[in-house]
Amino acid sequence: MFPDVIDDTMTPSAKTAPAGTRQDTHGANILEVAHLSVSFAGVPVNVVDDVSFSIAAGRTLCLVGESGCGKSVTSLAVMGLLPAKVARIAGGTALFQDRDLLTLPRLEIEKIRGDRMAMVFQEPMTSLNPVFTVGDQITEAVRRHRKVGKPEARERALEMFRRVRIPSPEKRLDEYPHQLSGGMRQRVMIAMSLANDPQLLIADEPTTALDVTIQAQILDLIRDLQRETGTALLLITHDLGVVAEIADDVAVMYAGRIVESGPVDAIFNDPQHPYTLGLMGSMPSIGPKTGRLTTIPGSVPPPQALPPGCRFATRCPFADAHCQQNTPPLQHDARGHGWACFKAPLELHLAELG
Amino acid sequence: MNTSTKPILETHDITRHFGGDNGFLGSSAVVRAVDGVTISVEAGETFAIVGESGCGKSTLARLLLRLIEPTSGQVFFEGQDLSELPPKALRQLRARMQFIFQDPFSSLNPRMNVGTLIEEPLLVHSDLSAAKRRARVAELLVQVGLRADHANRYPHEFSGGQRQRIGIARALASNPTLLVGDEPVSALDVSVQAQIINLLEDLKQAFGLTLIIIAHDLAVIRHMSDRVAVMYLGQVVELAETDDLFSHPLHPYTQALIRSIPVPAPGHKPAGTTLTGDIPSPVAPPSGCRFHTRCPHVIPLCKEKEPILNIAEEKRFVACHRWKEIVAEGRLNIQIPAPTPAAEQRLALYRAHSTRGQKPTHT
Repeated sequence: MFPDVIDDTMTPSAKTAPAGTRQDTHGANILEVAHLSVSFAGVPVNVVDDVSFSIAAGRTLCLVGESGCGKSVTSLAVMGLLPAKVARIAGGTALFQDRDLLTLPRLEIEKIRGDRMAMVFQEPMTSLNPVFTVGDQITEAVRRHRKVGKPEARERALEMFRRVRIPSPEKRLDEYPHQLSGGMRQRVMIAMSLANDPQLLIADEPTTALDVTIQAQILDLIRDLQRETGTALLLITHDLGVVAEIADDVAVMYAGRIVESGPVDAIFNDPQHPYTLGLMGSMPSIGPKTGRLTTIPGSVPPPQALPPGCRFATRCPFADAHCQQNTPPLQHDARGHGWACFKAPLELHLAELG
Repeated sequence: MNTSTKPILETHDITRHFGGDNGFLGSSAVVRAVDGVTISVEAGETFAIVGESGCGKSTLARLLLRLIEPTSGQVFFEGQDLSELPPKALRQLRARMQFIFQDPFSSLNPRMNVGTLIEEPLLVHSDLSAAKRRARVAELLVQVGLRADHANRYPHEFSGGQRQRIGIARALASNPTLLVGDEPVSALDVSVQAQIINLLEDLKQAFGLTLIIIAHDLAVIRHMSDRVAVMYLGQVVELAETDDLFSHPLHPYTQALIRSIPVPAPGHKPAGTTLTGDIPSPVAPPSGCRFHTRCPHVIPLCKEKEPILNIAEEKRFVACHRWKEIVAEGRLNIQIPAPTPAAEQRLALYRAHSTRGQKPTHT
């Protein structure tokens, strides 16, 4: 297992710091992504543009955003799972154990994936092979990376089933994916992903397909397991409720860029970027009704129609000509809270205007 | 809501079972998707039906408009028993009650342009001339926040939110009084979802509609509805006005549901434990109270005797043997932390500015 290092000074992004600057926190960082850009064939602008963040052992970073914001593409790039025919890494690095995941040869990254770095996807049914029992699939995942015999690997699978609290684990090992409920399948996926004690777990919308009572169980489970193992977690979600419940740090993405990032308290208690505000206002609350929902007008423009400056400018209620033409830098304050907006803090800028 | 208001839609002990056919490989298991539901929806209200997957809420929605036939029980629309209506009369009545589907793409014919799609209900339900129909289509498009010239485009040219607007325009074409939406916003991104929720509320106001919303997202329900029915395994377990239900739920299942919602406020963790276990299969629902396998308050009686939906307090109903004792142990009070002053101030600025310069949104 890994040392349970928790470093409160960790910041999820370091754009203002020159690349290569080793911060004091470096030793604790499991994954450091710097200036990652991804381009797609036929798309004139980068679909992921200059994205930087890092995650320390035992910490959880949530990438938040709506469909098409690049959060999944970012995670696929880190895992080396981008389809080579259409996607190209246009720049940046993703350091994991002092090796750049973006330039590793395929065979090398395959050794890491499923071992030191594991994944959980949204829909477990499409990630599990329907013609093998779930026990066999975990056994295979263990034997792929460990020189152990079948009985030991199966023993490990059983141990993992107990850890993810699957009832009657011995019986469940011999069942096929279709015999399990959605929540159980997601537990199997988590058991499989953690079977080799990964240092980094990447979970892409792991609870989105689940019912709310089951989602609560899975989030509790992820949190408990993370406390036990010290795994760093990169969680991708669109649900701000899930973010508030599980994240230590948050990066809000819009149209391929991080627009705001920082510790979870800063994001929720001191939101700066108009997109973050728009997202928060759009969410219906389970508290007493307070009137109409705030909306973000329009929708994300297609890549060719993105403005040259701030990509949110076409929908932002505060944007002016300067925002349309110039890209605001993502600047961090002393707490590691950063935002990319010329108009933030809003109250100060609007007061200046009168 | 005044209790003397005339109900627009009522069900009486309605059930729908699937399967059980004697096929070539023997008879299949019977799924009791909806099992004895009696509800009454008042004119002008927004009535919500909430529950997790497999609780029968979508089946119930379809039964309400007789899109599928009930196994037993009746549905009354303005006092008329839908099951006794001859097909022609039913078709005429359909103009008054319309359905909005979850996935607007699979419910719109990809080979018809938007104008034709919205015109179709007018052809069936009205005798307007071609020119008047075109004018009406243009009017409907503007009402749902699209442009009149969108009539010449095809569904694939639109985003998810825009497609849902097309679905709503189509539902509105025949001047309905009742709209039933089966998860009308759950396939949409948060910011687009907010636009569609606001649109539905505006249309409800403008046309005096009654809305029945089926959803699994409790925050959406809380925001939109006046009354809520909570379903579990084919039955209604609690029915109450929205504020009462969310501020102090009575049924242990409702309590668990509300506690399970992740609240967008860091450090907030409601008291109490999360539910264990999965939803049992509706093929073999548990004996007695169907929730007893997951209920933290279970006693032997719950396994033997089925609780019936009884009046608990004014305008609220609960199906639980022990609700009084559970309430006596301490009412569950759900408190949602308020946003910080900084967040509140900026949200207010955002709101002020986004409504000031608002053009019609074209999502």
